[in-house]
Amino acid sequence: MKNGKARGRPSASDRGGIRKRGAAKKVDREGDLVMDGNTSQARAKRGRGDSVRSGASSGTRSQTSTRAIDAIQKAISSNSESQQANIRQGGRASNLEQVRVNNWKGSKAKSNPDGGQESLIAFLEKKLSPPDARASARARITKSRLEGDAIIVSIKPELLNRMLQLNGFNFAGKILEIEKYDEAGIDQAMLPVNGSTPTAADTKAKMTAFLAKRFNRENKLLDLSDLHNDPDLIAMGIFQSTSTESKFFPALMKVWELNLSLVFDSPAARRRAVESVSLRANKLDNLKMVTTLAQAFPDLKNLDLSHNDFKDAQSLLAWRHKFENLELLDLSNTPFSADPTFKDTMLKWYLKLRVLNGIEVRTAEELAALKKSPIPVQAPYFRDEGCIAENFIRAFFSGYDNDRNGLLDSVYDNESTFTLNINTAAPRAQQADVAAWDAYIKNSRNLLRITHLTARMSRSHNGADKIRKLWNSLPATRHPDIAAHPQDWLIECYPIPGLVDPTGQSPTGVGGLLITVHGKYDEIGKGSKIDTRSFDRTFVLGPGGGAGGVRVINDILCCRAYGGNEAWAPETEEAAQPAAQQATPQQSIDQAAVPQQVVGPPATPEGYGMPAPGKSETQVQQEQLVIQVMSQTGMTLQYSELAISGNGWDLDKALQDFAKLKEQGTLPPEAFLAGTV
Amino acid sequence: MAPASEDTLVKHSTEAATEFVNSFYPALQSNRATISSFYSQQASTILFNGNVVADGAAVQEIFVNQMTPTHYEVQSFDCQIINRTYPTPTATGFKLPTETTVKDMSILVIVSGFVRFGESRDLPQRGFSETFVLVPNPTADGPKGKRRREWLIQTQNFRLVV
Repeated sequence: MKNGKARGRPSASDRGGIRKRGAAKKVDREGDLVMDGNTSQARAKRGRGDSVRSGASSGTRSQTSTRAIDAIQKAISSNSESQQANIRQGGRASNLEQVRVNNWKGSKAKSNPDGGQESLIAFLEKKLSPPDARASARARITKSRLEGDAIIVSIKPELLNRMLQLNGFNFAGKILEIEKYDEAGIDQAMLPVNGSTPTAADTKAKMTAFLAKRFNRENKLLDLSDLHNDPDLIAMGIFQSTSTESKFFPALMKVWELNLSLVFDSPAARRRAVESVSLRANKLDNLKMVTTLAQAFPDLKNLDLSHNDFKDAQSLLAWRHKFENLELLDLSNTPFSADPTFKDTMLKWYLKLRVLNGIEVRTAEELAALKKSPIPVQAPYFRDEGCIAENFIRAFFSGYDNDRNGLLDSVYDNESTFTLNINTAAPRAQQADVAAWDAYIKNSRNLLRITHLTARMSRSHNGADKIRKLWNSLPATRHPDIAAHPQDWLIECYPIPGLVDPTGQSPTGVGGLLITVHGKYDEIGKGSKIDTRSFDRTFVLGPGGGAGGVRVINDILCCRAYGGNEAWAPETEEAAQPAAQQATPQQSIDQAAVPQQVVGPPATPEGYGMPAPGKSETQVQQEQLVIQVMSQTGMTLQYSELAISGNGWDLDKALQDFAKLKEQGTLPPEAFLAGTV
Repeated sequence: MAPASEDTLVKHSTEAATEFVNSFYPALQSNRATISSFYSQQASTILFNGNVVADGAAVQEIFVNQMTPTHYEVQSFDCQIINRTYPTPTATGFKLPTETTVKDMSILVIVSGFVRFGESRDLPQRGFSETFVLVPNPTADGPKGKRRREWLIQTQNFRLVV
């Protein structure tokens, strides 16, 4: 694999022109030099990683007990640190190539909520596909992420050349700059220090210790000020070359996330762990080196950039659309803060900014006014008739989650209509990640896009039988309990006239109920992968022979990215509600230990539990089960894998087994992730 | 009258919804004096974020006099026929099911998109979901000085959802 990569590189560096235009050319070029200087070593290391990885995955397939025993012995006898380091490297050596796409921002698609990111991905996928490709053969961009203003996309190696040819293509008015991207791994970044080659685990341990030293849990403050004078970093040789210096920060952010993922299950909880970051006095005159901070802490409230060398707005531009929740910003003692446009620019960039350079720039009233909609938000309007709607809604969502066929039999008939539309670009809750819509999109009847009559007809599902066929093909769902989580729901209902009378007795029609529901659900995907999404669903109920004397005439569903529930919290209760809601997450943060002094083993290799080319569906499912065991038991990846593979991949059995062994005290300390015991 | 075929019904309903969505949101944005022309005289419930609004004239009044400049972006919408023999009002009463044509239907429309309250493009995009029931316009002429619309709002429920 490594050889393949090395062979691929010369063709990429032939495109010197591309590289020159790229913003980070220096980093990449030096990264190449670094790697080339250590090729044999890196290759040897990678090879080891690969063998561990393939060994582990063949084990997941064979599930034989002999292998399990072997693995236990190996795990116990070997130095766990290096073992883990190898596994992590194996994980990163996935057979995908990464490509950096620059100069895409500000295209004609920029007004989309994601700034046109989705359109860009779609554009690239289309251009990568042969013109006659069938849907199944179309090129896919497996992964993408933002890094500064660039998008880093992962593609299969065979698409790399075609992708690089797209350099200079026009995307909605912007000339794209595309170049190969070599990720600066934690270990690679730190490799050649004083001629010595510390291991990845060693470097990571030092960074973990550094983070623990610089993190104030109580104040949720990560103090990264004055890094050049930190004795530990000086000892690590971070500032001896621009190469290590430029890679230090991204690596540090990665270590931060790795450590945090041991402690917090949800990305949201991880983000809440830090409210303030200080980058004071780091001689920064631009954001190139620290730009990944915005990905690690998108919800930051306080940011100290004072005593740096930022000259103007341009030097901070990379963070213009970042930190949407920033309340306090300090840029004092920077040249930019003397600029007459300084205050206005910052107010424009950060809509929630309250204090700038220690001076209040927006009052609480002004902030509230910005947030408020000109149409005051009221409690739901609910005009039921004899609890018909209430009973229907309660039965509906538990039925939709647990027994769709039974639900269809009870309130749908041959005249019922169901349609589904997906708003793929809907505004989302802060930085929520959006899972792909593949399972829905071929049935989405968004009339903006579905313009042909035949498609409009085929995507309308009329009658219980056709609805049944569709529902049984849609992902399983779990809606929150309405009584237990009323804040997650907004349900409105009122009578409407003019429905068809199924008995034919009233030629002028009969009355019914219009019910609109806004809420969220967990989608249970393949391999028990769970994605939270938001939905809007409108029903028209008429009198009929179904349960409760009603029939569903219309059922129209819109699914979109998770958008939270803040929007419909009535404004009058605003003060009381957030306090109550925060009680639980707050607790879990306080209990949580943030970066450990001890070397935290990596939770899972990157890409673990995620689908990837060449990885079988079974393997993905098994990896996800291992992750579940890890999160529920606090055991390491290897032990978790042993626990579940030894129990025929039955999660319940594995957990029972674990509880028994733990009670007996037969599990060795190294079975557990650092900090969990 | 023979019942209309499925494709005719789908064609009519989806075209009605499309025409409505393409004209109503631009009107809210930049042609507010025409807002009341979108509403049926017999409009039933009209809701904005749970606030009851009496009728189309009241909606127009609010948008003309109280509302900041507003930018709507429809990102997805869909429709279904509720009643394909809708009792459209006539001079003497209602059309009976035997008298209705393909145009006598009521249509459920659901819209998903975002709205920005205020002129600056830097203001936050708020997700909304909006449900309408459209019914045929029973009158042959438009309101005085305004364009006749074929489909009118019988009920409307707007909610900010993000």
